Amino acid sequence: MTEWTKPLPHPTPLSQPFWDGTKEREIRLQRCDACGAHRFPPLVLCRVCLAEEHQWVPTSARGTLYSYVIQHRPATPAFIDDLPYVVAIVELDEGPLMLTNIVGCEIDALEVGMRVEATYFDASDDITLYPFTPSKE
Amino acid sequence: MPAPRDVAIVGVHATKQGRNLGRTALSLMLESFNGALDDAGMTKNDVDGVISFEFPAGTGAGNTLGEVAFQLGNPMRFTSHFSGVPALLYAAAMVRDHVADVIAIPFGGSQEETDGATAAYTRPGYEFTEWTGSTTPAQMALQTRRHMALYGTTSEQLAHCAATLRNNANINPEAVMFGRGPYTAQDVLDSRMIADPYTLLMCALVNDGGSCIIVTSADRAKDCKSTPVWVLSGGIGCFYTSYYFPPTLQPLETRDRMLGAFSRAGVTHDDIDFVTTYDHFASGVPMEYEAAGFCEVGDGGPFCVENIGLDQRFPVSPDGGNLGYSHCINPYNLRIIEAVRQFRNDTPDLCPNSHLGEHTYDRSICRKVRDPKLAVACGPFTGAFSMSILAKD
Repeated sequence: MTEWTKPLPHPTPLSQPFWDGTKEREIRLQRCDACGAHRFPPLVLCRVCLAEEHQWVPTSARGTLYSYVIQHRPATPAFIDDLPYVVAIVELDEGPLMLTNIVGCEIDALEVGMRVEATYFDASDDITLYPFTPSKE
Repeated sequence: MPAPRDVAIVGVHATKQGRNLGRTALSLMLESFNGALDDAGMTKNDVDGVISFEFPAGTGAGNTLGEVAFQLGNPMRFTSHFSGVPALLYAAAMVRDHVADVIAIPFGGSQEETDGATAAYTRPGYEFTEWTGSTTPAQMALQTRRHMALYGTTSEQLAHCAATLRNNANINPEAVMFGRGPYTAQDVLDSRMIADPYTLLMCALVNDGGSCIIVTSADRAKDCKSTPVWVLSGGIGCFYTSYYFPPTLQPLETRDRMLGAFSRAGVTHDDIDFVTTYDHFASGVPMEYEAAGFCEVGDGGPFCVENIGLDQRFPVSPDGGNLGYSHCINPYNLRIIEAVRQFRNDTPDLCPNSHLGEHTYDRSICRKVRDPKLAVACGPFTGAFSMSILAKD
């Protein structure tokens, strides 16, 4: 594996199950036991009903492109080789919005509302990132 | 029914705004504080409340409420953390309730304390943001792209907003971008791409500067040497922490609340003479006109092209706004100070006698709004939005 020089996420006890999921090629979210709503980023309480009890469940890992930006300036020098790169928000089919990158897509083909799905990239032994790509379904 | 004119801005001051002034945030803040007291004709012993940002990345370590209280040597009867429009609305409420009589809202920002870059809190090391390579402009550009997709807002419309503000700054000798123009919308579109859809000239620079606002009751305002500017009403809506949670257009939902603020003030949008938007990026202009209810949600792009010029119906920030006048890391107060200075006819520009308050209204040299009586000053459109309605007698 090429050495990863970009920032690595630092999981917290609250978020660790999410990162356990990406390592196993799944997008897992908290699903509220009381009302069934999914939530992301990880939260102590449900955004819909404020119940705490929840399960971490696999999702479709699919959604629609909610918005995107084409970066022509790097966040830090570590991102220079990626320019131009796409920072995006995906609206997962389960509801929550997720900040991510779009990879494997021509810039001109990007369109708000297009179908996308997660891909997985092992950035370290502990962290697997989850850029999205146009859906093949 | 008109709102009672019971709370006033009686003192304002902005220090020199500029890049790399070589000053600490605290020194800029204290200079602006003294300047605003002088402007009001007050002394430090009059002040019994203070509202200021307190996060090191934005304003500099030591720029804290306790430090201000210690510096003044006065016990504070009210302290809170914010700046600009939200702070003004807190101050007005506290003065109306006699919790405190004279509240200062000082601010200082220094690039030396932010590594010369955007405020560090806009670039958090958050586990669901940082790895994507998102930048400060990207977070607002994500809102903007969504607005473009839903409502058809165009890059040309955003460029028009940026050019309008930068042209106002071009004739404001106090502006950081003074003399850099004039600009056409095409110039803005042709500047290099930063975070598509934003080009360079759609993004505010970052610079240093201090600013302060003094708020008090109508009774105390009678003893001040300045002409009072009345705080009629306003509104605040907060939806999520910017730069952490994925940005959305939810702050547009504050529109109904802002319409309520107009009702409480007893004025209509047609009565408003000018608007000071918070335009750290060009998209703030159309979105804030929408959220403040000047047009329907989604119509801000075409609305701005027709309405925000100095001789059009609702001129935008005649000082040049964040894009042209100053983006002193957190320029919240400056949006209010420009409104106050327009009311007072204290608007330096290139008119030969602007220092005497004489204006030509030749828009190649003059940025004075004609005889303004009512203004709307805005806070940033991020994960929140805020607005206040200001008036002079």
